[in-house]
Amino acid sequence: MTDQGYLLSAITLTPGAVALLLLLTSREATRLHRWAGLGASLVSLGLAAVAWLRFDPANPSFQLAEVHSWLPSVGVSYRLGIDGISLILVLLTTLLQPLVFISSWHSIKERVKGYVVAMLLLETGMVGAFLATDLFLFYVFWELMLVPMYFLIGVWGGERRIYAAVKFVLFTLAGSLLMLVGIIYLSWLYRAQAGVWSFAYEDIRRLVIPMGDGFMSSPQMLLFAAFALAFAIKVPVFPLHTWLPDAHVEAPTGGSIILAGVLLKLGTFGLLRFNRALFPDAWERSTPLFMTLAVIAIIYGALVSWAQKDMKKLVAYSSVSHMGFIVLGIFAGTVASTQGAMIQMINHGLSTGALFMLVGVIYDRRHTRLIEDYGGLAAVMPVYTAAFLLTTLASIGLPGLNGFVGEFLILVGSFSVAPIATVLAASGIVLGAVYMLSLVQRVFWNPLTNPENQSLPDMTWQEVVAFAPLAVFMVWIGVHPTTFLSISEAAVQRLIGG
Amino acid sequence: MNVNDVATILPELLLVLAGGFVVLADAFVPLIKPRLSLLAGSSVLAALALRWLVPLPGSVWLGALQIDPLARFVDSYVLVALFLVVSMAGPYLERTGANRGEFFALLLWASVGAMTMAKSNQLLVIFVGLELLSISLYVLNAFHNTSAVSLEAGWKYLVVGAFSAAILLFGVALVYGATGTLSLDALATTAPQLAVVGSPLLLAGLALILAGLAFKLALVPFHAWAADVYQGSPTPVTAFLSVVPKGAALVVLARVAAFAIPLAATARWTTLLAIVAVASMTLGNLVAIAQRDIKRMLAYSGIAHMGYALVGIVAFGYDGVAGVLVYLAAYTLMNIAAFAVVSAFSEGEDEPHLLTDLAGQGWLRPVLSGALAVAMFSLAGIPPTVGFVAKFLVFRSAVLNGLVWLAVVGVLNSLISVFFYVRVVYYLYMKPLPRRAPRYGEPWSVRVVAALCALGIVLLGILPGWVLGAAETAARSLAR
Repeated sequence: MTDQGYLLSAITLTPGAVALLLLLTSREATRLHRWAGLGASLVSLGLAAVAWLRFDPANPSFQLAEVHSWLPSVGVSYRLGIDGISLILVLLTTLLQPLVFISSWHSIKERVKGYVVAMLLLETGMVGAFLATDLFLFYVFWELMLVPMYFLIGVWGGERRIYAAVKFVLFTLAGSLLMLVGIIYLSWLYRAQAGVWSFAYEDIRRLVIPMGDGFMSSPQMLLFAAFALAFAIKVPVFPLHTWLPDAHVEAPTGGSIILAGVLLKLGTFGLLRFNRALFPDAWERSTPLFMTLAVIAIIYGALVSWAQKDMKKLVAYSSVSHMGFIVLGIFAGTVASTQGAMIQMINHGLSTGALFMLVGVIYDRRHTRLIEDYGGLAAVMPVYTAAFLLTTLASIGLPGLNGFVGEFLILVGSFSVAPIATVLAASGIVLGAVYMLSLVQRVFWNPLTNPENQSLPDMTWQEVVAFAPLAVFMVWIGVHPTTFLSISEAAVQRLIGG
Repeated sequence: MNVNDVATILPELLLVLAGGFVVLADAFVPLIKPRLSLLAGSSVLAALALRWLVPLPGSVWLGALQIDPLARFVDSYVLVALFLVVSMAGPYLERTGANRGEFFALLLWASVGAMTMAKSNQLLVIFVGLELLSISLYVLNAFHNTSAVSLEAGWKYLVVGAFSAAILLFGVALVYGATGTLSLDALATTAPQLAVVGSPLLLAGLALILAGLAFKLALVPFHAWAADVYQGSPTPVTAFLSVVPKGAALVVLARVAAFAIPLAATARWTTLLAIVAVASMTLGNLVAIAQRDIKRMLAYSGIAHMGYALVGIVAFGYDGVAGVLVYLAAYTLMNIAAFAVVSAFSEGEDEPHLLTDLAGQGWLRPVLSGALAVAMFSLAGIPPTVGFVAKFLVFRSAVLNGLVWLAVVGVLNSLISVFFYVRVVYYLYMKPLPRRAPRYGEPWSVRVVAALCALGIVLLGILPGWVLGAAETAARSLAR
């Protein structure tokens, strides 16, 4: 890999650098902070679009690579690179971030500076984790996300924010610390086999990792487990999901959008990028386990969603179900199912991000998220109703919208490999329609009985601006998915092919 | 002995004289009183500059001292820590009405003891350095001589210190009895040829030396003094106590390990140290969770951190020692930042330094709180801080030496520790402010110390290259 400019660094580090500069400003200058946050995230989005233009979809390996020496005696280097899999997720991240700033323009009134700084640092961590092609650097970016998210939940969150924030931190670290030992072990193994120190992804990929019979005696199984635990907690794979409802419900709207939209994708991305590519034998042996857990998550998540009285909780549990589909797709391991999982990652980011945003809209007006407090909103908030309905239909997989494409590809791709699991998973789609449509029914169509709901203002222009791009992509992916499928196709082919 | 030999200990000589000068100036020139910390601080900087100017000839003073890159690394470490402590001590002493020259003189002399200890090449000289360090600290711990907790701290440290010194000395005597030499060089080169390898006398001697050093490091099971002494000592002294003697003792331990391992059969040595490391981190972290007083919490956190650092010595090798040295640098910045801020937020010296005193301060006093939060995340080992780099390096050395299980125990301990470090941040930023004004203001020097430490923590976390390079050079000088 030769060095090709600083584009990827610019995408990654711009938000973080602006965040550090903002630390030096007065906390009274909230207009400045809001605009700087939006500006920095828009710059990142623009640069990500440039990367998309300069990206060659036919080339399956890392492009626009950057390599800088960092700690040469240990073998750590600063390496960034982008392939189809990471490009698509970076585009999602950089798209969601400015929308978060717009949607929270008025809802975050206190400690604006801290909020903007935390969000921007979080963006640097997320984009960096997608782009890092050195395992040490990946770990640094991965953990960099932790502190801002802790603050976002703990300072701007709901009533049980402290519990949720601490739980989030402990769950995340519980997974990632063992991954750190795994990363160190891989570099030692590389040194033993190649004679030099390296943490570079492309180097580690060439390793031959011994695969014994048992579990404790098999280095590859242990390494697989160390990485998989970190990612499975992030996804989250059943039964490691218990942090998710707390974190999603207690986080402020912007934090929920980023959590559901991007952070969960880091889990599935990590499974693909590291577990699938580095430990193929262990991957094969673990497939039945993960497919079973995925099916459980799909059905369990849907059933629990159905039972929720709180809208935000309902959306949170629906994430468990939707992420189950993605896990099913990547473990089925065919090109179709993996491509479906890729597109479903985007879909879930768009539709769940949109749902959290829309729940935030109504919460700002009424300060309640209980479904029973609403009813008949269609009469007073027509624009809001249309937006919510579109998102619901996208989320439950109506053909012509994005959700259909992803779920269809996953199911088609998985059926040949695991027919029973696929059939059970398909029932999750039906359950998804049940809980989402009953939510719409209860919130928008039932009679407008509660007097407090009779004069609710419709969405403001900021809220519409924040939502509109998401709607555009929901339709775009639904009508012409090839635009996005072609980005990741070559990289997925390479991954599946070996 | 010649003129060149004298040149090698110029920094120490300067500090000894500066200490005397500070005491005399305080006694006879009343005008200088408000400038005492400035005076002491500038002599520390001068000593630091001298250390980098004088050459590193290796063995000097008839083999008593070893002036090598390792010695220079430790000296720099001690002097930077001393400078930060002296800077934060000025306003603290003003506030508590204890601004006396002896305070600074004793700090300087204690540092000379630590520096001597760490560069000594002879077991008895190690002991002399240790005593100079300890005796100065006994007085400093009890410096608030009207406060019961401070006197208690001084008394406890005196009893435990005297006890551990005796143990160390007894170990030195046994090693001498077994091998007939006190020189580390001779122990490393000629002793392995003697028929003493693995002899009970030698093993007992090494175990006692280890125990004596473990007292200074507050390693389990020699840790019981730490919490009370940390809590009762004047806060700048606690900051000093938590980093300087520990750094010196760890380096002595590395120097001892370099000769002890071939003499004492590696497996035995490794097992013993690994048990101590695991016990220290686990006990330190678990007990820290239960603390409500920040100084006590940091005492237990210190026990745990010395457990982590010991991992680098268990996995003895050039990587391990380099990791330990980076760990020391990291630990200094984190602890001094923490104690500087804790002192500024306190409700008074005799009062407990409660976690609840921090409630809501984050939004009220951004610089100090930010520094404390950065120090806490660094102590927890979360990137991009130097605390993470340090932990990564020592755990890496464990993995490279086939001790994967030790690295796993280490990271699981980090997970436990996150709980109480993050709780400090929770108090700072997520608790509502109680309805009272802060008791003390923020002197600019405390602000500067805290900000410098926080900046150092983050910068060295992102660009650890040069401190790692210096640590590697230093570690290499242990190879004979």
